[in-house]
Amino acid sequence: MQYFTQLVISGLAIGAIYGLIAMGFAVIYKSTGLVNFAQGEMTMIVAYIAWTISTTVSGNLLVVTIAAIIAAVVLGLVVERLVMRPMLGEPLFATVMVTIGLAVILRSSINFIWDAYPHGLDVGFGRDIVRVGTIGVRTGQIAVIATLLVLLAAIWAFFRYSKFGVAMRAVAADDRTALLMGISAPRVHAAAWAASSVIAGIAGVFFAISYDLSPAMFQLGLKAFPATILGGLDAVLGSGVGGLLIGITENLAGGYFGSGMKEVAGFLMIIVVLMIRPFGIFGDRDIERV
Amino acid sequence: MNKYLASASLLFASVLLSDGPTLAQQGITDTEIVIGDVEPLTGPPALLGVAASIGHKIAIAEANNAGGINGRKIKYVLEDDGYVTARTIQGVKKVIEVDKAFAMLGISGSGQSIAVMPVLEKAGIPTVIDVAPVKFLWEPPRKNVFVVGQSYEEGIIHLVKYLADKNPNKKWGLITQDDDYGITVRDGFDSVVKEKKLKVVYSGNYKKGQQDFSSDMLQLKDSGAEVFLAGGIIAENIAMMKELEKLNVKPVTGIFWPGRVEPVLKLMGPAGDGIYAVDYVEPFAGEAGKAFLEKAKPLVSEAEFKGINRYTMSGYAAAKVLISAIERCGKQPTWACTISELEKTKNVETGVMAPISFGPGVRFSNQKLQIIRADFSTLSFKPVN
Repeated sequence: MQYFTQLVISGLAIGAIYGLIAMGFAVIYKSTGLVNFAQGEMTMIVAYIAWTISTTVSGNLLVVTIAAIIAAVVLGLVVERLVMRPMLGEPLFATVMVTIGLAVILRSSINFIWDAYPHGLDVGFGRDIVRVGTIGVRTGQIAVIATLLVLLAAIWAFFRYSKFGVAMRAVAADDRTALLMGISAPRVHAAAWAASSVIAGIAGVFFAISYDLSPAMFQLGLKAFPATILGGLDAVLGSGVGGLLIGITENLAGGYFGSGMKEVAGFLMIIVVLMIRPFGIFGDRDIERV
Repeated sequence: MNKYLASASLLFASVLLSDGPTLAQQGITDTEIVIGDVEPLTGPPALLGVAASIGHKIAIAEANNAGGINGRKIKYVLEDDGYVTARTIQGVKKVIEVDKAFAMLGISGSGQSIAVMPVLEKAGIPTVIDVAPVKFLWEPPRKNVFVVGQSYEEGIIHLVKYLADKNPNKKWGLITQDDDYGITVRDGFDSVVKEKKLKVVYSGNYKKGQQDFSSDMLQLKDSGAEVFLAGGIIAENIAMMKELEKLNVKPVTGIFWPGRVEPVLKLMGPAGDGIYAVDYVEPFAGEAGKAFLEKAKPLVSEAEFKGINRYTMSGYAAAKVLISAIERCGKQPTWACTISELEKTKNVETGVMAPISFGPGVRFSNQKLQIIRADFSTLSFKPVN
């Protein structure tokens, strides 16, 4: 039982990281109808910025957190304004290709701006191990699970009760009608990119605290993408939950059937779920696949 | 007419076959000699590619500061392949055909070196490979391709034998990557398992790029393994050791030289203290390592100095051997002479590894291995006596 529990806890921890990045995918899709293939790279860039702040300005948790959030907002807005907005009205395929190009540029920038060495993000928190019996978990892992749960609740409330959240849903549902209602679609898009960047950045920072920071970190995006497909590409909350499901499934498969199954398990789960619910567990039935 | 044709043919053949000054060799002017290189300078493998190129630069700067090769300054042309094989081939072709390199160093990873072998052989350019020594590169020996280092398989065999002798009758665990690197590690391990009759209780295989090893390390713990061969490269080994720390187990652990870089120890934290590694280049904590760093400091930029790791030493040694061979060819070096002089390389001292030798039909330097152990308090690897 302890073996099972340890697998589930570790699965929740990595699943929470996947979930946060998956939510980033969904926020952009929900608002713009676009899949951002540079999501993993944006996660990585924010984490590297946080590391730079921690080593050059201050290693204080609060300072690093605030600075990383600001950096993530700026990154999201810059990408939206300089790269995505010129693509408004262009064919979807071309726009998706632009995000792939953006991914390659951001990935390569790591070596130009930083280096290829792995680094640890030390903010004086997250490395300690909490033990309950023989089960161990790092404080950073507990924190990322808690953060995901808080964000799930906050985003649910935002979309349901806030004016801007309702505006985002309106743009996602029908941007022309939303425009006629006085909602600025570009403004909504910009906010979505900024929010997505912040959510993904939080995941990156937690990953760097609990594991480490390396140029291979962008691959988290490849693991999170199935999570958002599983939860529903247009379901922000569902994507978060999808991340947790993928994390737990992967770990249980790896723990009971060997390392080889770990990588396959999540995708097997997606195939099965999509056969039954092609729009994901929590997605809308009329979702358009790209 | 026939007499004229015969004379012309003889003259043409003599020009083709001669190594004399009548035949202009590419990559050489009166003042300059071009050495080419293709390495991964972007992406995670840049850790080795950048470091190796810094080693080449140090040897080249050292030679240029001493007046160059018989008066010719060395120009170093470096291409990035991003660890993508197609780009390696493209890069090597560009360096040979467009930049007109006289000789090559490098080249990228093991798979990339293997893939580019036909291009090197066809061109006939003198080449010294130093980054990823694998048997295919010297078996069978190619006329113009020399390899400095030791094979991955020999390295693993040396490490596992050492750990097996030191920890008799213990239970073993192994995890490897699902690629050619992982297969080589596993093959080396398996050969010792048979010879020493090791009891293997855990054998895992992870997908390249995997970042979370929680279930793998839990399986290792559950198996009761007491000696563990961590077959990751850099980030993988760090993640494994941190997971083991979380699970409160500390088996005797061995890692292989591709991951034997000092920053890894800092990231592993106390969990990395005491891990064993095998290598053929000197650790930086030793006298030879310190002397190398002293030598390197004025020859590279501050950023490059920070990028120095074990691959810098192997790159430096290879460049020294190549430069020395070209130098021995005198004022008019040719490919044939350089290859011949490389073959005559005998006990060349580089200060960063055991003396280097090649020979007739021997294209592999077969460097002597040593076991080293991590010391967390000084964040360094130290030789084990």
